Amino acid sequence: MKKELIITPAKCIGCSTCALTCSLVNQGEFDLAKSHIRITKYDFEGIFLISFLSSCKSCHQCAKACPSGAIRSMNVPDNTGHTEGGAN
Amino acid sequence: MAYGYAGKMLIINLTDHTITEQLLDRSLQTLYLSGTGFNARILYDNIPPGADPLGPENVLIFSTGVFCGTNIPTACRTEVSSLSPATGLFGTSSSGNYWGGELKFAGFDVIVLKGKSEKPVYLQINDSKVKIISAQNIWGLDAWETIRAIRSKQNAEAQVACIGQAGENMVRYASIENGPYDAWARTGLGAVMGSKNLKAIAVKGTGAVRVAHKNEFLRAVNKTRQAIMDSPFYKPFSKYGTMLVTIPYQEHSILPGRNYQTGTIEGWESTRTRKQLHHYTKRGVACMACPIACAHWVEIKDGPYADLQLKDMEVTPVIAFGAGCDIDNLPAVAKLTEVCQRLGLDMVSAAGAVAFSMELYQKAIIDESELGFKLNWGNQKSTIKLLENIAHRKGFGDILAEGTKRAAEKIAGSEKYCVHVKGLECMLIDPRARWSTWTLGYITNIRGGDHLRTRNPVENLRHNDNPRPYRTEKFSFPDEMLQTLDMPDALKERVFDPKTGDVDIPQMSKWSEDLISVYNAVGLCIRPPVLHTVGPTLISEMYAALTGIHISPEEIIKAGERTWNLQKLFNSRHGEKPEDSRFPDRFYNEPSSSGKTLDREKVAEVLKEYYKARGWDQETGCPLPDKLQELDLTNQ
Repeated sequence: MKKELIITPAKCIGCSTCALTCSLVNQGEFDLAKSHIRITKYDFEGIFLISFLSSCKSCHQCAKACPSGAIRSMNVPDNTGHTEGGAN
Repeated sequence: MAYGYAGKMLIINLTDHTITEQLLDRSLQTLYLSGTGFNARILYDNIPPGADPLGPENVLIFSTGVFCGTNIPTACRTEVSSLSPATGLFGTSSSGNYWGGELKFAGFDVIVLKGKSEKPVYLQINDSKVKIISAQNIWGLDAWETIRAIRSKQNAEAQVACIGQAGENMVRYASIENGPYDAWARTGLGAVMGSKNLKAIAVKGTGAVRVAHKNEFLRAVNKTRQAIMDSPFYKPFSKYGTMLVTIPYQEHSILPGRNYQTGTIEGWESTRTRKQLHHYTKRGVACMACPIACAHWVEIKDGPYADLQLKDMEVTPVIAFGAGCDIDNLPAVAKLTEVCQRLGLDMVSAAGAVAFSMELYQKAIIDESELGFKLNWGNQKSTIKLLENIAHRKGFGDILAEGTKRAAEKIAGSEKYCVHVKGLECMLIDPRARWSTWTLGYITNIRGGDHLRTRNPVENLRHNDNPRPYRTEKFSFPDEMLQTLDMPDALKERVFDPKTGDVDIPQMSKWSEDLISVYNAVGLCIRPPVLHTVGPTLISEMYAALTGIHISPEEIIKAGERTWNLQKLFNSRHGEKPEDSRFPDRFYNEPSSSGKTLDREKVAEVLKEYYKARGWDQETGCPLPDKLQELDLTNQ
């Protein structure tokens, strides 16, 4: 078994807690430009897109912080593919 | 190096278009924290008695909370303050969304706006690059159009605070819109912005908010998040948002139905409550760093407002328009929300003005010839038309644009239907049918008739009992609720009766006003799951880990008390009288549909108890010298 990030974009509420937490944990400060996750907000449409940079180290702190279930950390068998959305 | 704070204040003189930066003063931080505390200090020091709220001598301040730009749950709020054109007193409003975090990332905590530009302008902030730009091409646009126009020209990701036509035309309850769907709504701050010929402040920041002690900070934030999510209020508020309370309001007869003529509305539960929410919304939308997501993404699929999409269905417009004006369905309320958001109107005061007018129409004090249309209860088209006329100051709308208090002075026989406190329309709950800490707040509130600055963090809406009339409200939650309330034990014993748990309303009012002042200083949201669990202990812990500055829980709450007292001193200096702290006559003289009226003497007695709890003179309601000394406010 290994841990994978499961992404469900439709559940994203746009709070950016994942990106804020990522930048603090990995960069030591709150800097959304340095976060490994980007939440692109289309506020007029109420749409939030989650994307991961290739620099993501899979520390899963974003999943721990996500309050909506849009990013979850799950145990999956070693021989399966992993995500609905594309993080590693 | 600044931690937590960006460390800088931006001072804009709109008269001569000068832009200066100033470092934040350390003593300002320790005494007032940030947000509303900073604003109280700066306004008190900068606005002389007799100043015109719509004159160049007024000052408009945007102060972010020190917690903004971090992952502290709900920490995203910015306080905007000024001398209010609605009340002539301390005008102030809090709003969340992303604007405050963006300003911090751009490198500023505070923007102070002085003077008046000769021509319309907007302020563009791209990190340290600050420009004053002509707004000739966007003046006259509504708020949504303004945001789109600025984003297309500047930066698609800019966070935009702006006014609509109501602000431009200095409607005394114009809002400042915060993105398309949020606002600094109350006390007419949009009119101040309009008076300065300032259309918008667009911000984009790419910098950082630094943390003094990362590991301690992460621990404190995790503890706070867990406390919020463990609160029994968390799940229901995440699911229904503030719409949760729409059914109890009807059950207790506390709706402001048809301008407070009735506390219950026939068919309410099947038309305007959380039970209908699922027809129009499938998901929540959050402000920055918020785990609650109390707002709903709304999509209206059919009917006259088909294709309308917005972030909405919150208790305020549903109660203010849905009950106050008897607009009888949620899609229509959503449409009115959109109209107010675009025109830049405070929905509470705007609904108050419409409800007042509808009652005048009902009582034949005004008629179709004056209005240009019929204005019967629940008339959606006429409500939209009247809101547009208010924003553009057309016809009868021009009279209403001055606020209902001033309008009532011009319309013979209308005064008894005018529901305001200190000039601010109150259109949410009826204190006659259910008395609580919350309702006393209508008259103790620094900013006038409003329900958002005084509230019992563990209010039990299932009950409507006053074990000691006017003095206490019932608690009646499990003991764990009291144990998880972050309040000093000694104070808990004074506020909650040790035997019955009943809540002492004057003591709770003081505590909650001080605590909410702290929230509005550091940038937290007052939604019940937060207010219940996050008090001075957790705030002190997070503040120390974030900023590296140690302020004890006692000093944290004292900063809130200091702010509230300074705002009261500001109000006294600007003409507030003891007799202004009273409910509209209607609440004393006319029974609501519950059959109840307010008892004038009992209200006066409990107000005196509140003044006593505050250390204020019981006759004048002003802070006494000992209190001022205790709060380091002796040199005012």
